[in-house]
Amino acid sequence: MKKMIALGFEGSANKIGVGVVTLDGTILSNPRHTYITPPGQGFLPRETAQHHLQHVLPLIKSALKDAQITPDEIDCLCYTKGPGMGAPLQVSAVVVRVLSQLWKKPIVAVNHCVAHIEMGRIVTGADDPVVLYVSGGNTQVIAYSEGRYRIFGETIDIAVGNCLDRFARVLTLSNDPSPGYNIEQLAKKGEQFIDIPYVVKGMDVSFSGILSYIEATAVEKLKNNECTPADLCYSLQETLFAMLVEITERAMAHCDKKDVLIVGGVGCNERLQEMMRIMCSERDGKLFATDDRYCVDNGAMIAYTGLLAYAHGTSTPLEESTFTQRFRTDEVEAIWRIKEESSEVDGLMDESA
Amino acid sequence: MAAKAYNVADGPNQWEFSCDLEVDYESEENASIVHAALAVDKELQPDKVKRHMLVSDGKLSVHFEAVEARFLRASYSAFVDVLILATKTIEEMGKGMEL
Repeated sequence: MKKMIALGFEGSANKIGVGVVTLDGTILSNPRHTYITPPGQGFLPRETAQHHLQHVLPLIKSALKDAQITPDEIDCLCYTKGPGMGAPLQVSAVVVRVLSQLWKKPIVAVNHCVAHIEMGRIVTGADDPVVLYVSGGNTQVIAYSEGRYRIFGETIDIAVGNCLDRFARVLTLSNDPSPGYNIEQLAKKGEQFIDIPYVVKGMDVSFSGILSYIEATAVEKLKNNECTPADLCYSLQETLFAMLVEITERAMAHCDKKDVLIVGGVGCNERLQEMMRIMCSERDGKLFATDDRYCVDNGAMIAYTGLLAYAHGTSTPLEESTFTQRFRTDEVEAIWRIKEESSEVDGLMDESA
Repeated sequence: MAAKAYNVADGPNQWEFSCDLEVDYESEENASIVHAALAVDKELQPDKVKRHMLVSDGKLSVHFEAVEARFLRASYSAFVDVLILATKTIEEMGKGMEL
């Protein structure tokens, strides 16, 4: 039988990506373009949408070309329904609606967070891990249970990536390739640990107070030559990541799972991976993580997750192909995992018999 | 898609600020594709801005009405951006597309 192929569109934040994948998780192409703002500045919805408008059509062409396929060979068109910024999300949605009519292909709406998880699972081979999803817009500890990805802990205010990005603006670090990457590089030169607040509240974390504190401290201490920007990056990373490791470990104990999968843009931070790896090894578990090709937003993750849903009978009628800024991970029924699970249960029963 | 007439009950020019836009696609099919793609997204503030779309004779006509000029401007300008996107998508990805 011919392999099923999906074309996926991601544009919920400052990256626009188009990917082509097959149902077994082979990525045929995955080009993307990032909207990079000047140092000291963040990205705003309107400007970001303009960036996506300019790049989406050339990206479709290069995605098809790199994958060496024609529109005829595509089984479904997938797009990010949410969560994310409204105006940027609309770009992918509109393009997919037009293509669906031009090429006579079904649409599949995809939850961005679930797409990160599925991409991480297929790329690393992690079967049933506790997932730490950390990016510029989201911070969640997630585990699969009874048909859905359940959120065990999350940020109660801003995302960890937002905290890092905004601190990079204070130091006017470059946003190329990403503010987080430049903080990570600078942190390697840090020598002195500066005490900053550590805010874990049960299963949840909070970063906005830490950001305010370090923003104020940075200006003060740098002015008096009490520390270097590198010391601040190092101290901030150590504190934020320790908080994330703590809530991840608590979720592992709670769900009785041994492995951890880190996804999302902050997930390519090697210091975070290192700290998490130490915690996992102490619990006889394994850490699964990916590099920036897969953990940073991309079209392939949307294509793959949409294709999983499509292969299990789900599609989205054109009239319902809306987008939404708020769309929680646990709103999605992971129908493809329910079927995986039932075949596993059969296997277990065979063993016990 | 069948052409829709304005609903007389909440017909045009109920609110003070209005404007109209017409794009001639010279193709009923293309005009309908754009109409169907853009009709999915409703106006975010229906109590302040209204948008009516209609396809006839290969043309897409859009009528905007708002209670204040700034709402009209915001809605209209956001709409034109996605209208151009939908139109370019048809031009570049439609029949005879080259990779």
